[in-house]
Amino acid sequence: MALSPALQLDAAGFSYGAVAALSAVSFAVAPGERVALLGRNGAGKSTLVRLVTGLLHPDEGTVRVGDWDTCDYAPEDLARRVGSVFQHADQQLFARTVREDVSFGPRALGYGEREVARRASDALEALALTAHAAQHPYDLPPALRTLAALAGALALEPAVLVLDEPTVGLDRALRAQVAGALHEHVARGAALLVVTHDLGFAAETLDRGIVLDRGHLAYDEPLATLLASAERLKPLGLVPPAVAALSVALELPGLPVREREAAHTLARVAGAQPRP
Amino acid sequence: MRTRHPFTLLTLAAALPTLAWLLPAPAGALGTAAVAFGLAAAAGVRRVLVPAVVTAAPFWLFLFVLHDLPTTLAIGLRITTMVAGFVWLAAVLAPDRLVEAMVARGWSVTVAYVFAATLSAVPLFRARARRIVEAQRCRGLSPRGSVAKRLRALRALALPLLLSALHEVDERALALETRGLRSGARRTPLAPPPDPALERAARWALLLVCIAALVGRLV
Ligand SMILES: Nc1ncnc2c1ncn2[C@@H]1O[C@H](COP(=O)(O)OP(=O)(O)OP(=O)(O)O)[C@@H](O)[C@H]1O
Ligand SMILES: [Mg+2]
Repeated sequence: MALSPALQLDAAGFSYGAVAALSAVSFAVAPGERVALLGRNGAGKSTLVRLVTGLLHPDEGTVRVGDWDTCDYAPEDLARRVGSVFQHADQQLFARTVREDVSFGPRALGYGEREVARRASDALEALALTAHAAQHPYDLPPALRTLAALAGALALEPAVLVLDEPTVGLDRALRAQVAGALHEHVARGAALLVVTHDLGFAAETLDRGIVLDRGHLAYDEPLATLLASAERLKPLGLVPPAVAALSVALELPGLPVREREAAHTLARVAGAQPRP
Repeated sequence: MRTRHPFTLLTLAAALPTLAWLLPAPAGALGTAAVAFGLAAAAGVRRVLVPAVVTAAPFWLFLFVLHDLPTTLAIGLRITTMVAGFVWLAAVLAPDRLVEAMVARGWSVTVAYVFAATLSAVPLFRARARRIVEAQRCRGLSPRGSVAKRLRALRALALPLLLSALHEVDERALALETRGLRSGARRTPLAPPPDPALERAARWALLLVCIAALVGRLV
């Protein structure tokens, strides 16, 4: 039997007044899965994130986190299971130090000081923020503030982690840091749902692609398959990352979409030894 | 009202609280509060009048707790005039028109911008406040519980709003300077808002009324 899903949407729909933002969206995410939520502007991605966090409740259908129906819970209660980072997350920081701010979530959930300290240390460590732990959040550059907000969500050690555009404004090195921390968190059995327009980051970090189109679920399949089919992505306003386009153009076996895999495949095809 | 010259709107918004404080209480302030609410209602009941009432209400609560009835009435009506006048002004005054009007009169672009940014920041501020409430709740912050708990919650909501706004002002100022907005060069706007003679006269009249009220108060 498959693992029972960490997150499950069943014909979920939501409208802002007369504007239907989501209609009949169904999918399930198992623990340990890494899902990219894609779609053009206004497709309904952020609305879906707000449904998962309990900030909105579906007008139709259900949204479940584990065995909890989100309709029965307030966001602050769902925080025991769902960690989230929204756009402009850097604006939510307020404590005197980065470490204090990262501790805010676990403390609000009522954990003891020892557990709070452990979680904060782990989260800071995971994002390589330990060196900045004692600084005031607003003394950090904006990109590191975004990372601090992400550390705050990791410190909740949630079973479901949902991120809305986590890589905006991050350079390559910081994006790699985020990817590393996410991998680590998922390895401990969390489910990951990432909204992103950064298909390169998605290709490197995530495995499954869910595409929304005007509130409807358009595709739900392995991300590599999706990224290799430019003709399906184009009408949805998505452009595959360069590596995927290259794989397709060269007809590389297995159509790799990650840089390292593509490099290996290329080297093999060329008959040379890949460098370690 | 939206089509009036920005200076007329500003004068009116400034004159109302001035008169509220200068005219004898409580009749004077009752009149100015009525005018302010009238303007707010004309600009839109749901969009302007209701927010004005909601913003003014808490002041009354505090005043009732702290003072006797005549004082509460006197101060409450004055504060209400101020609040309603400001909410009305923020709703009807288009910041870009104000900047154009100010620049057309020879004000420096920087001063005009700072003025307009303050006003236009009100709705932005509200959106940001909502975002922060949501983000903190998703981190486990509960808006329920004991008074002490709720006060602590308030800190987690008010502080980020303040800090991030201050931080942003800092960045905006820097951005302006790098774009050379500090230079005193006078710019000619493409379409300065029209300023009919009647409106100009009305503004002066309002100013004279305020001065008369001040003189009446002093002698
Ligand atoms: N608060 C709101 N009130 C009314 N309509 C809204 C609101 N928020 C979003 N919408 C509408 O709902 C639809 C879905 O918006 P949503 O923010 O979920 O899209 P998105 O996929 O996150 O887009 P983006 O990539 O631009 O972030 C859009 O048509 C949007 O205009
Ligand atoms: Mg969005």
